[in-house]
This record gives sequence, C-alpha cells and structure tokens, in this order.
Amino acid sequence: MKTISLTVNGKAVTAAVEPRTHLADFLREGQLLTGTHLGCEHGVCGACTLLIDGSPARSCITYAVACDGAEITTIEGLDEDATMRRLRDAFSREHGLQCGYCTPGMLITARDIVTRLPDADDRRVRFELSGNLCRCTGYVGIVRAVRRVIEERQKNGSAARPEAGTTPGTSLGPVGSGHARTMPANGPIKRQMATATTTAPAAEPTRSPSGQAKPGMEIRQSFTVNHPPDRVWAFFDQIDQVAACMPGASLTTPPRDDHVAGKIRIKLGPISADFAGDADIERDAANKRGVIRGGGLDTRSRSSARGEIRYALFEEKGGTATRVEVDVGFTLTGPLAQFSRSGIVNDLASRLTAAFAQNLRVRMDRAAGGSPAEPEPSTEQTAELNAGALVLSVLWARIKSLFGALFRR
Amino acid sequence: MKPAQFDYERPSSVAEALDLLRREDLFVKVLAGGQSLGPMLNLRLVQPDLLVDITGIPELKRAEPDSDGITLGACITNADIEDGRAPDVTGGVLPAIARGIAYRAVRNRGTIGGSLSHADPSADWVSGLAALGAEAIIRGGPQGDSGRRTLPIEDYMVGVFEAALEPGEILEAVRIPRLSARARWGYYKICRKTGEFAHAIGAVLYDPERSVCRAVIGATESTPLVVADAAFLFGDRPSDNLAATYDTAAAARLLDRKGMTDPFERQVHLAALRRAVDRASLQ
Amino acid sequence: MTVKGVGGRLIRKEDDRYMRGRGQFIADVRLAGMKDVAFVRSPVAHAQIRGIDIPDTLRHAVFTAGDTDIKPIRAVSGLAGFKVSEQPPLATGKVRQVGELVAMCLAGTRAEAEDIAAAVSLDLEELPAVSDMLEGRKPGAPLLHESWGDNIFLETLVDADLSATARTAPIRVTREIRTARQSMAPMEGKGVVAYWDSRLEQLTVYSSTQMPHIVRTGLSGCLGLDHGRIRVIAPDVGGGFGYKGILSPEEVCVCWLAIKSGLPVRWIEDRREHLIAGTNCREHHYLITGYADRDGKLLGIDCEATVDSGAYSAYPFSACLEAAQVASILPGPYDFPAYRCKTYSVATNKCPILPYRGVARTGVCFAMELLIDAIAREAGLEPHEVRLKNLVRPEQMPFDNITKKHFDSGDYPECLRRAVAAIDLPAVRDRQKRGEPDGRLIGVGVSIFCEQAAHGTSVYSGWGIPMVPGHEQATARVTPDGGLELRVGIQSHGQGLETTLAQVAHQVLGIDPEKISVVHGDTGYTPYSTGTWGSRCMVMAGGAVTRACQEIARRAARIGAWLMQTDEAKVTVRDGMVVGPSGSVTLGEIAKVWYLRPQDLPNDADPGGLETTAGYKPVRDSGTFSYAAHATVVAVDTEIGAVEILDYVIVEDGGVLVNPMIVDGQVYGGTAQGIGTALYEEMPFDEAGQPLASTFADYLLPGPTEVPELRIIHMETPSPYTEFGVKGIGEGGAIGPPAAIANAVNDALRLLGAELCVSPMTPRRIVDAIAAVKESGARRAAGDAA
Repeated sequence: MKTISLTVNGKAVTAAVEPRTHLADFLREGQLLTGTHLGCEHGVCGACTLLIDGSPARSCITYAVACDGAEITTIEGLDEDATMRRLRDAFSREHGLQCGYCTPGMLITARDIVTRLPDADDRRVRFELSGNLCRCTGYVGIVRAVRRVIEERQKNGSAARPEAGTTPGTSLGPVGSGHARTMPANGPIKRQMATATTTAPAAEPTRSPSGQAKPGMEIRQSFTVNHPPDRVWAFFDQIDQVAACMPGASLTTPPRDDHVAGKIRIKLGPISADFAGDADIERDAANKRGVIRGGGLDTRSRSSARGEIRYALFEEKGGTATRVEVDVGFTLTGPLAQFSRSGIVNDLASRLTAAFAQNLRVRMDRAAGGSPAEPEPSTEQTAELNAGALVLSVLWARIKSLFGALFRR
Repeated sequence: MKPAQFDYERPSSVAEALDLLRREDLFVKVLAGGQSLGPMLNLRLVQPDLLVDITGIPELKRAEPDSDGITLGACITNADIEDGRAPDVTGGVLPAIARGIAYRAVRNRGTIGGSLSHADPSADWVSGLAALGAEAIIRGGPQGDSGRRTLPIEDYMVGVFEAALEPGEILEAVRIPRLSARARWGYYKICRKTGEFAHAIGAVLYDPERSVCRAVIGATESTPLVVADAAFLFGDRPSDNLAATYDTAAAARLLDRKGMTDPFERQVHLAALRRAVDRASLQ
Repeated sequence: MTVKGVGGRLIRKEDDRYMRGRGQFIADVRLAGMKDVAFVRSPVAHAQIRGIDIPDTLRHAVFTAGDTDIKPIRAVSGLAGFKVSEQPPLATGKVRQVGELVAMCLAGTRAEAEDIAAAVSLDLEELPAVSDMLEGRKPGAPLLHESWGDNIFLETLVDADLSATARTAPIRVTREIRTARQSMAPMEGKGVVAYWDSRLEQLTVYSSTQMPHIVRTGLSGCLGLDHGRIRVIAPDVGGGFGYKGILSPEEVCVCWLAIKSGLPVRWIEDRREHLIAGTNCREHHYLITGYADRDGKLLGIDCEATVDSGAYSAYPFSACLEAAQVASILPGPYDFPAYRCKTYSVATNKCPILPYRGVARTGVCFAMELLIDAIAREAGLEPHEVRLKNLVRPEQMPFDNITKKHFDSGDYPECLRRAVAAIDLPAVRDRQKRGEPDGRLIGVGVSIFCEQAAHGTSVYSGWGIPMVPGHEQATARVTPDGGLELRVGIQSHGQGLETTLAQVAHQVLGIDPEKISVVHGDTGYTPYSTGTWGSRCMVMAGGAVTRACQEIARRAARIGAWLMQTDEAKVTVRDGMVVGPSGSVTLGEIAKVWYLRPQDLPNDADPGGLETTAGYKPVRDSGTFSYAAHATVVAVDTEIGAVEILDYVIVEDGGVLVNPMIVDGQVYGGTAQGIGTALYEEMPFDEAGQPLASTFADYLLPGPTEVPELRIIHMETPSPYTEFGVKGIGEGGAIGPPAAIANAVNDALRLLGAELCVSPMTPRRIVDAIAAVKESGARRAAGDAA
C-alpha cells in the first residue's frame, strides 16, 4: 500500500492505495464517486474520462498512486461549472444521451472541446469526440449539443471563470505528473509472481484432441545438409538436440522413450509467457519421417499452445546429402490468443520455422563435424534467433491489434 | 479486469531510476505515460514486480530547441507537441503527427519516449520520427549514470516491442532536426476509424538544403521500412514535385525485400507511401 | 404552448441525474460487507473437464459445480423437433465455449478475486470444436450435445413447389450471403449484486437487465426458490439492445453464492468477458434464389438459411427464435406468389446468441435487399424501380403476406419514393458519370423493410418458448397532493420511458409530466411483465398506462361531479382537472378528498379509489408494422478498400409518435449500430473456436467520425389497432443500414464487376473482391487467347 494525497473535486484526500488500483476504481470504490464509469478498462471507450489538473485523461489506465499531488475533477465536481451547465442544457435539448452510461465521460470531453477549441466546426468536433464511444445516440445529438454550446460561446462570450483545477495547466509532461514527489517503495520490493497466492501446481497442459482440426498456423520449410540421410536421421533421434533448435525451448527432464517434457519461454517485449508441457515423438524409420506433437500451458496467462512438427528426410546428391522438409503447425488458445488475427500470421510464423530450420542445420552440421552446406549464419544472427525473438513474432501476429491499438501511445 | 499486484516507485532523478532498473532480481518495467502499458497491465498480459514511474523526473520533461533542432525529453506528451508547448522546429510536422495519435485524453498522458520504447510497429512516432531522421538519446549503460549514447530512431526499435535498451539503460530524450524552409513532407496513415491503430503508414521527407531525402513504410507488423537515402524512389532525381518522378516499382521492390507477400498488405502499404508522396508534392 | 402529451418533443425527465453522474448503475450499488466475484472461465472452446485444481489455502473462496445444487438453465421451444440443451451455470463434465464458467472466486475486491481465479488451474482434455455453422451441420462433425446425434437445434421449413417458377422465370438470381457474428456491446456490460434479506426472507437481486420479472422466473426455477422469495431490481441500465434480455449463468451463480454466504455478492462483467464470453448475435448464412420476370416483378423466392446459435439455448428467447424468425419475415415488405424457406439453427462451440436490436430482420433485410439489387442489375433496371413493382401497396392494407404476417397500415411505395427523392438519385447518377477528382467510386443504395413490433400472445405462443407476453399491465396511483405514480413491469434503459409514459398519462389526465413519476424495473413494485424487448414498450406499456389512467379519470370524474354537485355525464377530465358545466375541480383537490377527507366523498365513490392496475392488449396482437426506407451515397476508395458515407437518409413511418425527439434518437442510434454491422463490427473465431476479439481495439464500434450526419424524414400512418395509433419503433434503425450500404458499395463497384455479399465490408474484403474480378478477367482473357 502507498499513501497518496490529492485533491478530489476541491477537497483534500489522503488515502492508502494498492499501486495496482486505477484512478477510476480509487474514486468509485474508495471515494464513492460513481459518476466516473468504466466501459472497457483498456483506454478505448472514454467512459472513464475525467479531469486531471484540468485536462481530460483516462482514469482506467492511470493508476491512483501516480496521481499523488494532482487535482482530480470528476463529473460530480462540475455541478456548478458554468460551461458544464450550458452543456447539460444543450445535451438535454439535443437528446445527446439515452442510457446515460457514456455521458459523464462524454461531457468532460465536450467541455474540453468547447473551451480549448472555440472555433471547432462539425468535422473537428467529431474528430475530437472520437475517443468517446456511445452506443445509443449515433452521436447526432451529442455533436449538435457541442456545436450549440460553441455557437453560444461565440455569440455570448465564454462563461465566468471556471473553478480551480478545471483549466488545463501549462507545464510539460503527463497531466497529473507536475507535482510528483519522490515515492520510494515502503519496505522491500517483492517478487510479485512468487507471492500471488500459490503458483499453480505443475498443471497438465490442455490435452490435444485426437483428430483435431488443422492447426491455426502452418508453415513449411526445407533445407539441404551435406550429410547422408542415415546420419541426419540419427541426429533426429537426439530429441534434446532437436528441441534446442526451437528458439526459447528447453527440456525439463531427460527424454524418456518417445516422450519429452519441456518448456518454452516466449518473451514479447514486456509480455512473457512460459509454456510448460510435453511432447510425444513418433518416428517412422523406414521412411525416415517423424512427428513431434506437443502442447504447453502458460499458467500465468492461462493460455496454451499446441503444435506439431513434421519432418521428413530425402536423399539428395546420390546419397551424400539430405534434404530436410519441416512442417510446423500450431494453435494458440486462451487470453493470449484472443485478439484479432492479422494477415501476416503466415509471414511471421514462417520466420519462426525458418529459425528452427536454420538452427537445426547449423547444429546438425556441427554435430556431424562436416562442412556446412551453405555458409554458416553469423553468430549474431544465430544468437538472435535463439533468443526467442522470432517465436514472439508469432504471438505478435495474434495479439497484434491489441498492441497496435492500445499500446502504441 | 484488474492488474496483478505490482510495486511502484517514483524516483526524482535519472540516477535513481537507473538504480532501480539495474535490479536483476526483479521484473522492472518503466512507466512513462502508461497509456500503452496500462491496458496491458489491466489485462494481466504484463505482470511486473515493480513499476518505475519516471514522470516525476524533471530532466525528462524538458523541451530544448536550438539552431539545429530540438531535444525533447522522454516524458514530453503528445499533447505537449500537439499544442506547441514543446516548440515546433518542423514547420508543423510534429504537431500534425501528434494530433493523429489515439485520442486527446490519451495524448494528455501518452509520451513520446514511452511510445518509442514500447516499440509498437503501428505507432506514429516509430515511423514518423524515423522519416524525420530523429535520434534516440540513451542514458546509463556500462558508463553508469552519466553514460550516454545516441542511436538513429530506426535502430532504436529492434523488433516488435523491443527497443535497443540494455539493462540499466533508459531513453532520456529524442533529438529532432530542424527542417529547412524548403523542406517537403508527406505523411499518410491508413486506419479503419479515427484513433485506431494504423494498418499502413507512408512518410516522406525531402529537404534539399540539408541534402536529405528519406522515406518510410510503416505499420508493417515489424520494424518500419526506413529508407535513409530515398533518392532512388524518385529516379535519383528528387525534386519539389516528388510525385513526378516517383517510382512505384522501386517501392514495391522494398516490400519484396521485406518479405511482404500478402497482396492486400502490399497494396495498402504502397498506397500509403504514394499518397504521402502526393501530399509532399502538393505543398 | 409546449405540447406535453402525445406528440410533444419533451425534454427527458431522466437526463439530469445522468448528466450529473448521479445515475445508479449496477456497478454503483454499494452494500455493507459486499464481496466481489471473479470467474474461472474455460480458455478453450470444447473440452472434457478432467480436474479443477484449487490450492488448499483458497479452497474456501472457490466454488465449482460440485459445491452447488443449481439446476441447469433450460430454454426449450415448443416447435416440433427442437432439441434441448442443458446449460449448467457452472460447467459440469464438458465445456462447450470459450468463457464458459467453471468456478467462481469470492474475495474482498475484484482484483483479489481475479488473483484467486488465476491460481485455480484446469485440467482439460480438449475436444475437436465446431467453429463454423456450415461445418457443424455436416454429418461427422464433432458433437456438442452427444445425445442429439447432430448439432441442429431446430430445422424449419416453409414449403412450396417452385419447380414451375424455376422452369419459366426469365430471371433467376442466386446469391450466397453471409453476415458476421457480432457482439452487442452496450457501453455498460452486465452485472449483478445479490443479497439475502433475512427480515423478508427474500433474495434481493440487483441486475443489469431488460426483463426483471423474467429473470425472477428463471432464477426461481434454477435455484428452486418460490417467486415470493425473490425480488429483482433493475437499477439504471447502461444500454441493452437485447444483450440484457437473458437469464445469465453469472446471475444464477451469484444469487446462489449470496444465499450460501449470507453476504452481498457482486459480479460486474468486464469488457473482455463481454467480448469473449457474453452472448453474440447476427451470424447468418443464406443461399438464396430469386425468380423474376423481365420487368423485375418477383415470381418467387427460394432460400436456405443457417443461423449460428452457439453452444446453448439462452433463456428465455431460445436458440431457435432467430432462425424461425428468418423464415417468417424474409419476404419483407414485398408481395410475391411463391416462397420456400428452409432454416437450420446450428449449435457451435461459441457463446449463445440473443436477439440483438432488429433480431433476424437485419440479416433477412441484407439477404433480400442484396438479392433485389442483383435482380435489378440482371433486369437492367434501377433498383428502386424493381422494389416499387413488388412492394405491398397502400390500398392492400391491412395486408396478410405470404407467411401470414398481418401488415397493419402504411404506404410502403411512398416511403421508398421519398427516400429516393431525398437522396437525389439523378444527381448521383450524373456525379457517377463525371467521376471523382480523387478517383474514388461513388455508389448509391437503398433498402426497405418493415418491422414487426410489439407482437404478442398469438405470435409467441407459436414459438412455445419460456416467455409468452400476454396483457401488459400498469398501475396508476394519484398521490394525495395530486401527483401521479405509474408502475410498469418493463424497464427503461435509454428509451426515455420515464418521459414518454408520463406524456401518455398527461394526454389522458392532463397532469403535468413534472408531477408524474414512472416506477419501473422492480419486481417488488410493478406488475408482471416480460420486460423490454421487441420494440413493445410504447405500444404495450403505453397502452396499459392509458387504460389505467382512463380508469382513474372515470373514478375521479365521479368524485369531481359530486364535489361540483353536477351530473357525472356532464363532466370531462382534462388539464389535471375535472371540468363541469359551471366550474372545475383539480385532481389534487379530488385526491385530497379521497385520502384525507373521505367524509366528503359521494356514497357511490369507487372503493378502488385513485389507484388502479389495468391490463392492455392491442385490438390485434400480431404486432404493429413500422417500416422505413434507407438511402445512402457512399464513396469507395478501391485502392485501400475504404468506404465513406457521404449522405444518409431515413424515411421512417412509426405510426403516431409520442415524442418525436426520442423517436429520432432511437432511429439515429439504431442506424449507427447498423453502420457498425455494415462496415466495422465482427467477432471472428479461429478453427479451434477461439474468439479473436477481446478488446475494443479488435472489436471496432463506430465512433463520431464513422457515423455521418443522418437525415430523417417522417411519415406518420397510425396503426388501426393501438392506443393513439402508435407503433413500435425501437429497432428499425439497425435493420436497414447493412443492406443500403452494401447496395451502395456494390453500385459503386458495378463497373468493375465486383460485388460483395458479406458483412462487414472490410477494406480487405473490398480489395479482395475487386482483385478476384481482375483475376478472373485475366484468366478469361488468357483463356480467350488460348
């Protein structure tokens, strides 16, 4: 808990807050100011918009602890505000609200528009309102109401001096940060993951269905090594060697029969997922082909990945070389998967497979002690591939729009 | 949809922040405006042990223009740029980009440094600043608190969500060159709706007095395609009328090299760049 | 003077509290000792539950199906062949959709409850999933409900022999048409707060619902509690659109836990839960053939329609309402001689569906209106001309159509003509010939539909679902100071019924709306009602309020006549007074006599006094038929697939309008949602049944720059069957836009030969459609060369 002191609707408030409590929850649950609504909690819908140091901000993605010393004004604090009075009148006359849920955030944004942009035309008003979603009105009454108040202000001059804390400041930096005082951690900083109740026991991964529909992503790669098929086939028997070719993967226990347990760390910027799971290997020595089928669960995100790697060896150059064909297919489920799919999934996933194939070739060449079929990739490149960055790009494909839209600011 | 527990510190100097960032026993995440990180925290996609809020550090909130350009602290907000509180040295280019980022309430807290370090390929600054030839100024590193190095923006983003920061480093500021009076600039962003992330970005800068001709194809799902010497896109003869010599086939070859094969993606990215060129030519 | 009764543009009574942040929504309810719930939900679409692992230290805070005695939710339809799905509020045995509830976690705050949920791990054996309804229909598809033998909730057939038509019709056009799954996305999600009131021995349930009485009936069944032991209160509800017309598993679970724990328990749906786990809507597939003569006169329609109903039949509307409605309303406002329609309601591993604003009408309008345009192109006629040849004509009204729908009144052709005139078709055609300086292509499109609303007993008893509306009731009570309280069982969540029902009462009694309060959304205070759905409130609750107020007027007249010492037959009630030949007495004075000075009452005063409950049904309960024509001009940027709406006109006939401002608001809002359906909104799934939109960054709602300034033109043909001639109007706006916009886009792409038959029309789909034509053109050219 951290103790913060701030001004809410003109009144000084001191309170202890968990750092994870966002400003909207702090106001709603702690201060019983329920006029600030939550519509998405990821900064898109605008229902939670309020004033921090006089400028509109999202209270769902601003943490209360970061507002120490700031002046917060919610819809409840604008009852007597002259501009808000005009806006209320206009919203009612133009039927700018129906269910009323988006209304507080919409009015706060509207107030910012009429005060900051006294000459805004219809187009500009719509543009400026675009961070506030309304599902009821089709925005017709809202836009008309804002335009009406702009016109009134043009005709009659702006309203009387607004209350303290309701006009924007002039300092640089994020609104609300102007007064920020040093706030050290009180007591030692904990590793949160260890303390978040108990870590889930080594949960078994979601089991793959037999005869499951084809994987969400499928990529094929092929390459040639200057070793005879038998030697290459022997390499594929060393499952730990094969696993090590998958960026970010490692075995947790030594392979037993045709079963391995392992994990794969996927780290995409600040997101990290540790998929723990197992895989079964089927080998068809006669035809020199095999399948590795596996699945893993990331307990932190409750997401699971499931995939299979099919490989087949083909003799080339009269038996002195081997062409390896690798097909990778996998499916991701759970929260990490639940973002819109992008058109570049295959492109990125193929980079993953390319990394796997490339590592495989390098290792095989080294293991065989022979000369590489092609120049060995630079160490730098291999290191990057091994770092797991490319695995992430597959995840990225799935969660792309989230990052694109929400997190690019 | 509430974040997992994390701890929070708000240091008052870069040195204090770097101390925290050197902690190897913790998953430490820097919080600038939090407008990208906040949603990820709320969705529990990111679960750090410690957030280091750098917005209380005065030296990160400076805007310092000089004859060659301006140095913007990492915590300068999009609204600071949009409103001109951070002086403009680009003839309106920066404020126009800023205005197109998300929504006003987000711009009031979202920062230029936070956006760059977040390294989202769809972000405006990643593409826009690369086209302007801006640089990232990085503090810390092996030389300690006073260590400082500079990278071109296109090298600062090394991959999706990956900035070129080593442990114990922080993005201190962005250096943006002043455009000359003759400079021509075009920027075109394709979105399905206002404030939504870009599906394609095209940007072009032609500043003959400084011998600069740069182009960017962005929002490609990975690092933007930055062409530092873009003269070949204009038949090696760029002029004020850039559109006149613009070579679409040359741009298409860039996409080939990038490995962009999806016909729709190719079409919209080429459209974005060509429209940026058209805009630059119309000035 | 301002009209305050029927027809007045009265400012809404409810606005002020919302604009001051003083509304009370479900998440605003505060009860001492209240705890929060977070659910453990299935991360996969289809799986056998092998185990639920709860850390010992948390066992007291986590509840699974095994801990409860809740009965499954069953929404059965009486239609022949309907297969029943049992929906256990907490999963038992299998999970059949992503987001299905597996366990509930109780803690002091939501964040802590989510911490607990994160510590519970599930051992799931994943099963093959049905992620596509057409695949799910096929033999051999994985089964959701094994005992069924297939995945078909229900098949229906409107049969006819079209072979002769098919042989002789000069024009035959077939299209495969698809509409995307959507999320209804009111700005407020669902939520519930429940506690056991030990004084009243009653479960008090605050729920963000459109139908408190139906929720009470459903809870009674699932919890095994008498109705008298349950009170359901809908506080301010932040939008519904159909999403809150359900007994949800979360409601049942939270109520059970409130009883079990003895504590107030709260669950507030967050946006991710709404998008991945809440109910969806609108996913239709049509294989439709139209037959016509060379003049565009329709000769017959043959259709096979499939609706993706999701994993379970939602209570009370059931999994079959949507598809069964498709069959009955596909013919739209048209008169033609031959019609065949087969429908399938298919179970898939996705969340259940609910009737979203417009219900199946949006889909059938899309299918029918795209088909009509295709016929027009085939016949070389303007699309509106083909429509004019086939619309039911005013002189045919009232009209029983080919599926026995009874159109009550209206002039459909005139509606279309006005829309075409307002959009200025000749000007658009000229503009198309000139071309655009920016290279975009201009297109114009129209759609026309009729909207059955306020349909009652005779219609719903046919579906045989758990809920059949009968007489709607209202209680009216004059207060001792002459004010009026109205109590209605419906729920107002944006429709402004606190204002419009006061206007109706004002129309009858003349009491100032300022002095009229409308009590709604509380089973403890109001007469039973099926609630707010199907654009029924103004017709049904408005009718009931009228009846109740008429009875109050009759009783007041007798007292008033006595007080004025005149004959009851010689007095009238108006302007809040009983007016006699030589004077008047106010309702306030009459109320004072009834309540405070009963010694002054006449001997024959009605002992019911100034309070009464009255029931109402229209003269016919087959529904009112509002109708509208939508016309739009769009610009298509073919290079990047962007669509801009340049002009949008709605000509709407909703009968007599009680408050035109509110009606306009309903039409605007519905149209914005329709624009979302047309261009932006889609809930995609991957093959494993994973929903791929879990934020508003993935699921795009139209914002202020995506919705243009809309123009509304009103016609006002009274319904012959209702009080004041009103018709239901709440849904129409959402029905017309996808068809009108698609027709406009296709008109723009006509010269390129491209056509889209899918919603939403995304940039990729538009670009792909154009590319496909170019490709086939190139292939043809190559073929010719060879």
